[in-house]
Amino acid sequence: MCGLIGPNGAGKTTTLRMLLGLVRPTSGSGTVLGHALTAPAAYLSSVGALIESPSCYPTLSGRANLQVLARLGGIDDSKISTVLEHVGLTERAADLYRTYSLGMKQRLGIAAALLPGPMLLVLDEPGNGLDPAGIVEIRVLMRSLSDLGITILVSSHLLAEVEQVCDHIIMISSGRLVFQGNVTDLLASQGAELFARPEYAHDLGALRALVESTGRVARIADDTLVVTADLGWAGELNRLAAASSITLVHLSERRPTLEEAFFSLTGEKPNGESIAVTNRALS
Amino acid sequence: MMVFRAFRSEWVKLRRRTLLAGTYVALVVIAAFFTVLVFARAGHPARGDRDRFVSLAELAQPDGLVLGLSRGAVLLGIVAFGIAAAQMAGEFTLGTIRQLLVRQPRRSTLIVGKHFAVLTFLAGALVLAMVSAGVSATAMANVRHISTSAWTSSAGLADLARTFANISLATAGYATLGILVGLVLRSAVLSVMVGLVYLLIFENVLSSIVSGAGRWLPGQLLNTVASGGDNTTHFSTAVATIVIYLGIGAAAGLAMFARSDVTA
Repeated sequence: MCGLIGPNGAGKTTTLRMLLGLVRPTSGSGTVLGHALTAPAAYLSSVGALIESPSCYPTLSGRANLQVLARLGGIDDSKISTVLEHVGLTERAADLYRTYSLGMKQRLGIAAALLPGPMLLVLDEPGNGLDPAGIVEIRVLMRSLSDLGITILVSSHLLAEVEQVCDHIIMISSGRLVFQGNVTDLLASQGAELFARPEYAHDLGALRALVESTGRVARIADDTLVVTADLGWAGELNRLAAASSITLVHLSERRPTLEEAFFSLTGEKPNGESIAVTNRALS
Repeated sequence: MMVFRAFRSEWVKLRRRTLLAGTYVALVVIAAFFTVLVFARAGHPARGDRDRFVSLAELAQPDGLVLGLSRGAVLLGIVAFGIAAAQMAGEFTLGTIRQLLVRQPRRSTLIVGKHFAVLTFLAGALVLAMVSAGVSATAMANVRHISTSAWTSSAGLADLARTFANISLATAGYATLGILVGLVLRSAVLSVMVGLVYLLIFENVLSSIVSGAGRWLPGQLLNTVASGGDNTTHFSTAVATIVIYLGIGAAAGLAMFARSDVTA
């Protein structure tokens, strides 16, 4: 599962629209499932998509809405029941779309995306407008789809949400690629914060001096020393303190969040490598 | 094959009870209304309406059965325009065009399939309108003591077929115009409003001010086709001109749609 992240207006939706043949790239090149971006008909039969809010016909039932797409894509009608069951909408399939809650509409949108039995599922802000329960529901659904072997490209500006479900991310800002790779690699590269509390508060100054002698940055917050360091340096800090007869009663480490990494990256590399496909809307 | 898929897909939307029943009932009522009106007013021309005056003797002619329907052809066309424009532009208004294009990225195929579906939908409505006009005409002929024997003669049946073909052709033209306007304006309400103002007001005003303008205006030409030709424009000329108009319009509309970004 790959997250496409960036702030509002970064170009996430435009990028996804280009992948789906809805927006024409003005320059650059790219491939989807081995086919050129300029020939979407070659690969879209293996792609399912939910772009922004789900768009359906309000006066048609959920099932009929799927029928419209199934028939257009040459997909057997029997597949409709399968995808409705997968998203938990079987009971409400005969009801008009306009009577659905936002969460149900979102699930129907995902059902529509699942119709072709996709190799690639493109979801644009699937949690938009949902309450916490709805967001969890969509997250669980995405995980179950990922477990089926479907590659999911999900865009979101909710970085905490992406961090929870994605193992790979593409980070963009103002239409530029900022980072692409594993979430764990990104977070590991950002360093961590270590929290050390000595037994006696008067040792805080000595402990800070010890840390700073290694070239690391430290600050005192209440009765705790906060050190910026790589993950794993906690052991070394513990040994340094012990060697100076300082007993630590608390030692913990905190990884940076994806959000912190995002701001760190966009702040340090505003002119990152250009993504391969650009569009006039992004430039 | 792919056009047929688009056609079948469109029919899922067209068979909505409100749209199907609403349209069919509306056209049945329009056909009955105009037929009853023609028969009721026959022999009693209203002031200033002598050019549209129909005598009882004329109604007894082979084409008497369909005279009322012919008078309502413009309204049938306007309904066809509105439905086609709304079906096309509605995809942009609802944002459903995105989903449709992901499932069918060949945009021309999608539009052609949708167009055929709308045409068959309207063809069904026209058949019902024809039946409605026939039933109404028969009932009114009985009331006005008009002989109907000529209606079922070979000449009467030929007139019936010809009128149906002409009205169908004109309705198909109106529907095509509606699809194109919907494709360009991408707003159901705006498309219908612009279409109605143009067809019902602008063209009529222009053709009454500029002599011979009716031979070049698409709405007027479609009305000429529906009536089988008139004093100013021959039927075949009207058909040829409107086919050229719609052909150019369709080519330009499809080319524009194929190249445009879909941001709805």
